[in-house]
Order: sequence, then structure tokens, then C-alpha cells
Amino acid sequence: MSVCCVVVKTWMPREGSALADILADARVWKLKDASAAAARPVWSTGCGSLDARLPGGGWPTASLIEVLLDDTGLGEVQLFLPALVACQRAAHGGDAPWLVWIAPPHEPYAPALAQQGIELGRLLIVRPATATEALWAAEQALSSGVCAAVLLWLKGTDDRWLRRLKLAAEAGGALGVLFRPERHRFESSPACLRIAMTQGENETCLDLLKVQGGRPGPVDLSGP
Amino acid sequence: MKSRSAKSRTADLFAEATSRPERPAPAISTPPTAQPSPGLHSRQLWYAAVFPELAQSEPAALQRLCLHALQFTSFVSMEPPNALLLEIKGSVKLFGSLERLHADLEACWRRLTLPVLSATAPSTLAALWLARAGDLKQIEDAAMLPGHLAKVPIECTAWDGEQLQTLRAMGVTRLGELLRLPRAGLARRLSPARVQDLDIALARSFAPRRVFVPRERFGERCDFETEIEHVAYLEKALEPVIERCAQFLRRRQAGVQALELKLRHREGPATRVRLGLASITSERRRLTDVLCQKLARLTLEAPVRGMTLISGPLRGLSASSLDAFAGGLTGAVRDSAPQLVERLRARLGEKAVYGVCLIPEHRPEAAWRRVHELHLNDAPGVSEGMIDQGMPRPLWLLDEPLSLPPPEILQGPERIESGWWDGKGVARDYYVARQRVGARHSPGARLWVFQERQSKRWYLHGVFA
Repeated sequence: MSVCCVVVKTWMPREGSALADILADARVWKLKDASAAAARPVWSTGCGSLDARLPGGGWPTASLIEVLLDDTGLGEVQLFLPALVACQRAAHGGDAPWLVWIAPPHEPYAPALAQQGIELGRLLIVRPATATEALWAAEQALSSGVCAAVLLWLKGTDDRWLRRLKLAAEAGGALGVLFRPERHRFESSPACLRIAMTQGENETCLDLLKVQGGRPGPVDLSGP
Repeated sequence: MKSRSAKSRTADLFAEATSRPERPAPAISTPPTAQPSPGLHSRQLWYAAVFPELAQSEPAALQRLCLHALQFTSFVSMEPPNALLLEIKGSVKLFGSLERLHADLEACWRRLTLPVLSATAPSTLAALWLARAGDLKQIEDAAMLPGHLAKVPIECTAWDGEQLQTLRAMGVTRLGELLRLPRAGLARRLSPARVQDLDIALARSFAPRRVFVPRERFGERCDFETEIEHVAYLEKALEPVIERCAQFLRRRQAGVQALELKLRHREGPATRVRLGLASITSERRRLTDVLCQKLARLTLEAPVRGMTLISGPLRGLSASSLDAFAGGLTGAVRDSAPQLVERLRARLGEKAVYGVCLIPEHRPEAAWRRVHELHLNDAPGVSEGMIDQGMPRPLWLLDEPLSLPPPEILQGPERIESGWWDGKGVARDYYVARQRVGARHSPGARLWVFQERQSKRWYLHGVFA
């Protein structure tokens, strides 16, 4: 709470409004929420303008991120690849953590992954028969503690399963990324970060729908 | 040595054999009492059992007999096709006397209702030959060997038919006549190995034998008092069995990679649940975990009356399997990678969990493959293959190239022309393109397309995700 007071002191002389009004202002960044998020390590997204918008300056670990997009090919995996490479490189010696990709829409192409710097010996691809099995596999992988990141492609799921995935990610310290169709945009989700990807005129548009400890809104990807 | 061999003339001819170096056989284990020096050969006592009715093509039957013989001595050697050799010097004291031991052995064979010919001698071949000859003697003194062997027909040596024919042509039908022949000439007429055999039979030279090591597996059968209809109860019943299996493995410093559970029903064939583990283990928690995953997916056709748990072959447990100090991202790692993989495989199937690797190959579709044998414990090796930093490769590769209208080119071309030697030749120009509005993929998606050089047709081969 003392942190909040500092914020108030710097604002009071200029604006002269009530504390409640200031706190209600979306531009006031509450340090309390952000400090909770910053306690976890983050991985840089490799894109400066996106990093700047995320609390802690990168993808949070031990949490669930939801990416909403209708079709593949928008660079959605590319968003996470720098972070995946960084987390594999950061590990010392042979303890490189595993990456698990569950139900990807096409075959992940090994030469492309190697080109990007992914350690192929630590990549696991899982092809479950049903959505429930995919969710179960994701939960197992997230909570196992041997995986750094679990990427999951799904057509649809319910809120209860997402909550389980979130808890599993927190327990296992892994980053869970869930790719879902855009029609789930208006459903509630326990994910700490929700991103909608759409194709614009020339560029992919990135819209932060929900950012825990940050500010939602569109992101300009063309920045540094 | 000289004085003892001078006792008989036949032995004299072979006296020089004692000074020859032994045949080196480091790979073959020797009985504890065995000494390479010839003067000590009488410290061994060999019991040979020949089973004339044993079929030639039944090595398994001989192995079963070995298991029976193991109760009398720890050193049992198989002599295919139908004989066993037991080193019994150490056992004589344990069983009281040689006669007692013999009586026990005979009783053992009688229980099996197998006709047997047996003999005891201080050397392996002498015992075997005497037994084959049906000369059921118990010789303890090596000096007595030449006299007893003299009456044995040469056919009992089981040498080549050709060599035996040579001997018969020379008028030799018994070993005694053979032993009287000069050594050098015999070596020339037959072969030096046969002279060596005679040395071994006379306990002058020593022939190592391969000791029979029984194959061990864990197996436990239990019958239920009441029939079990629910898998959940089965899991409960399985717990103590797995605990004992883990104990069995721990005591032997071994692990298993496969287990089989047979569930017996009142009628009909037993349900078999086979499970393979991603790595060798002896951990109870892992075994339980994987078995329960398998059982959870099982639908019981009929109530279960009993079950049998059988382990696969025992394997040595390597140090890397024991990850007591495994650290990880959060410090408190619950599982290891093999555990995760086998849990996933137990539920989703073996083929549903795999890795990928590179293959040094220019054709894009042949430059990678799935890997089902994952290197779970060891550090990942440097991936072989070409990492071409030049042209970008798409993250998704389509199983089959899809035909598409000419796209909007962003980057390219990259010519790939290869594979003419194996009939799957390609001649393509690859481009990075952008999907046009109204096509199958969402507009604006970055695609990896190629134009076939001969037909000039366009195909979609990958998507940049």
C-alpha cells in the first residue's frame, strides 16, 4: 500500500483530484499487481514494442497464454520462438528443458526449427486423438516440471479445463500457450494474457485482449 | 607329473602336453576351483549327465534341466545337444559324500522320468565320454582315467564322422588303442585339436566351460477371492504386487523396460495388458503410474478372477536412470522426462508421441523424419544435417503439396533440383508468397510455394506460422 501512496503524491499536486478517481484512471499503473507478475522470470518476445506492453517485459513463465486466431500462417508460432530458443539456451549443460507441442495443425518442419535455433533433441510432438486427450496431455506436460513451454492447438474447450491448465502451468513452472479460434474471443478465460491475431492490410495485427498487470489494446508490431 | 604319468605307457605318450601353454579363453568363465596349472586338475570333479531321449532341436528343454541341476552346484554347463556337465567338487562336502550326491542327482532325474546316463570323472571330457559310453563310473583320481577311458568306443567322443572313419580305417575302435598311438602322428592324421581333447580328457590340460546363467524375470500370480469388475479395484490389488516387483528389481540392481499383466476371466482368453517404458526403471511409482494409465483406458469384457504380472527381461540399471538429484526449472521437479513420455504414451499410444530430427537432404519433404526412440536421459547431441541459414523454411510443412493458383510472390526463387537417382526427383523453384483474398488459407498468410519447373504449375508446400 505504501507504494500506492508514492504514486498518489506525484499525481496530487498536478491533478488535484480524489484518490479514487486517480486509481480509476486506466493510465495509473498499480505497482502492486505488477510486482506479483514480475517475481516470475520472463522471456523476451524478441519484439521491442510487444515487450514494452507486457508486464515484466516479456512472456511470463508459469502461466497460461491464450492466442486467438482463425487460421495458421500469421506468424503466431514465430511470436514465441525467440523465447523458446532463449529458455533452451539458458539452461546449463544437458539439462535443456523440453518443449512440447500438442496437436499442431501441420507437421512441424524440423529444418525450420533448427534454422531458428530450437534444440530438436528436446522437442516432443504429441498427436492426441481427441480434444480431451490433448488437454490431458497438456496438463501432464505443464505440471511435470521438465517442460519449459507447452504449445497446444485446440478448436474449442471449456473454462474448467483452462483453469486446470493454468494451475498445472503454475505448479510446473512452465509456459503454456494455447492457440484457439477467434470465436472464443468473448468467452471468459483464466489465461493471464490473451492475444487476438488478425490479418490486416499488410501486417498481422496483434490485439492484447487481457493483460494481467498491464494494459490491453492493440500492439504495433512494426516498432523496434 | 612325470612320475605319475610314468605309471602307464599310454599316458607317457601325452606327457609333453603338460608343458604346453593353455588355450587362452578369457571370455569363458571358469569354475572357482579351476586352476590352469595341470597338476591341480584333480581338484575338479565333473558329473556328466547325458539324456539320450532328449530331442536334438530342444535347447529350451536342456535349459530347463540346467535349472534343475542348479540345486546341486552353482556351476552347470550345457553340452548340446543332450548333455549337462556339473562341477561337483564343492558340492560333495555339502551333500555329505559323493554317493549321497549321486543318489540325489539320480533321484532328481528319476522325478523327471527322463532316462539318463551319468558318470563322474576329474575331467570334463572324460566324464562326458564315459557317460555316453554308458560306463556309469565314479572316478575321483585322475591317475585312474587312462585305464577307464581305454574301453570307451571312439564314437563317444562325438568327433567328426570323417575323423572317426579315418580312425576306424586305422583299426582303432576304442580310446585305449588311440592313446597308444604316437602323439605327433595323431595330430597330423586327425588335427591338433583332437590331441588337445585327449589331453583334456586325461585331465592334463584344462578346457574352460561356459557357465549356465539362468534368465530371471519377475512373475507373480494372484487369485482374487471375489471377482473384480471395476478397474479401480484392480489398481488397488495391483499395488502390493508392483511393490514386490520393485523390491525384486532393487535387490538385483536391475530394472525392466517392459511389463505384462494378464487378467484371467472365468471363461474366454485372458486380457493382456502390455506396457513398454521409455527407459529402464525399477521405481515403484513409475511402474504404478504407467500401469494405472493403461488400466484406466481398459474396458473389462468380463469380471477378473485373477491376474499375473510378468516382467520383461531384467536389464542392468545405469546410473543415469537414478535421478535423485534432478534439478530443474523450479528446483522441485516432480517427474523426469522419461516418466512424462511414458505416461503420455501409455494413454495416447506409442506412435502419438515423437520427436523430429534432420536428415541431410535437399528435398524439403525428405529433410526430416519422426523419431520414436527418444534420447530421454542423455544430453541431446548436436543435430546432424544441414542447417541452411540462407532461404527461410516454413514452420509447417504440408504432408502433400497442394495445387494452388499463382500466388503473390514476396521472396525467391530458390531452386531445388535433386533426387533423380531414386525415382523421386524434384525440380522446383521455391518462393515465399502471400495468400490472396478468398483462398483456402486466411488472406495474408505467408506461404511457402513452389512452381514445378516442367509443368509450370504452382503448389503450396508449407506455411510460415
